[in-house]
Amino acid sequence: MKFFKTPRILTLILFLVIHLPLLQAQGNRDFMRETGKIYVVIGVILIIFIGIVLNLIRLDRKLTKLEHQLNEEKNEQSH
Amino acid sequence: MWWKTTSVLILIYVIIAGIGVPLKPGIDRVAPLSSKAGQSIELQVFGYNSTFSETASEKIRVWLEFDSLHAIQSGKVDVKNDTTLLASFQIPARLPQNKQSVLLNVIVDHPTNGVSLLPAALEVLADTAVNTDAGNWNEHPISQLHVIKDFSYPYRNVIYETIRNTYFHVPMWFALMFMFIASVYYSIQYLRNPVAENDRRAVAFTETGLLFGFLGLVTGMLWAHYAWGKAWSNDIKQLMTAVALLVYLAYFILRASFDEPEKGARLAAVYNIFAFSSLVPLLYIIPRMFASLHPGATGNPAFGSEDLDNTMRLVFYPSIIGFTMLGVWMAQIRYRSLRLRDRLADID
Repeated sequence: MKFFKTPRILTLILFLVIHLPLLQAQGNRDFMRETGKIYVVIGVILIIFIGIVLNLIRLDRKLTKLEHQLNEEKNEQSH
Repeated sequence: MWWKTTSVLILIYVIIAGIGVPLKPGIDRVAPLSSKAGQSIELQVFGYNSTFSETASEKIRVWLEFDSLHAIQSGKVDVKNDTTLLASFQIPARLPQNKQSVLLNVIVDHPTNGVSLLPAALEVLADTAVNTDAGNWNEHPISQLHVIKDFSYPYRNVIYETIRNTYFHVPMWFALMFMFIASVYYSIQYLRNPVAENDRRAVAFTETGLLFGFLGLVTGMLWAHYAWGKAWSNDIKQLMTAVALLVYLAYFILRASFDEPEKGARLAAVYNIFAFSSLVPLLYIIPRMFASLHPGATGNPAFGSEDLDNTMRLVFYPSIIGFTMLGVWMAQIRYRSLRLRDRLADID
């Protein structure tokens, strides 16, 4: 069930992105709104970084699979 | 290889300049929020990033402005600290317009901080009890403002520092457009010359474009939560981009639903042309026809020249180039892995 792993991570991140502000709003102070909302910018940069890294992980998995395939074929030929 | 390094260097520059360069001084808020005609008030002005005490208080001028013809200048200006000043006003007995109340802008002109404005900051209610003609709205016109030209980003109320998201959220959509243009180009090439190479490139560019679209949507939702109050407010541009991303998501479902890869590739290429021709109206035409929360008035779904000053351009354009190059890089790795997969399948 490796296929479903990445979407699950994405759902988690989406959940966090949407609910983190709500969780914080329940406190007295919303740190995201402090110092001119600079943390929103940090959040946006982090989302982009995480998105690119997730894409990297997805590519890594696909290449690992291809490598395994290649190794199996080599083993078959040597037999 | 050189362009991959360049894209990373450009993005490092964008992140450093995007976060490091300060905002111009501005007015955060004023107190009180409302007053009556004919009264004299002490208006407390709270600055953002400002250094009010840098010059003598006589040199600081404060106005309450209704429009370019109707404005009153403050009498005494009392600087409390760098971010607080007190300005006393004698509000004329008659409002500039025959209405129950008017909203006035507050303008502060400072020799070193430059001029800053807070729109609709003070509400002045008409007072029927006062019947004199005391006070005039145009005795002290706004003139000789200090316009400071330095390396800083514009100050905007409500969004504050998040103006920097212009360098990270907006280039996602530019990069998405470039990726989808490349993808539809290779799809057309595939229909003219059905070699697997063209199809692989089309797939790789569509995937990368979709990644940018997803990132653009999520970053936009985070920004919207703090600028518009809600992450998803059914803004026309939000809705149309969500539709466009679903249209492109269907491209992969269509491909996967064919047992013969070649048949799937041909139909996907045709579908990609349809998807692209729906992308342009969804992102650029329909949002122009409705009111939107996005900057710019109706008729301009993204932003106009007034939303981007010359300092911002120095970071914004490199950001578009940097993210697009990074996208091409990611797409290239993807299509190389696809090529490897196909080669392995051929050996079987």
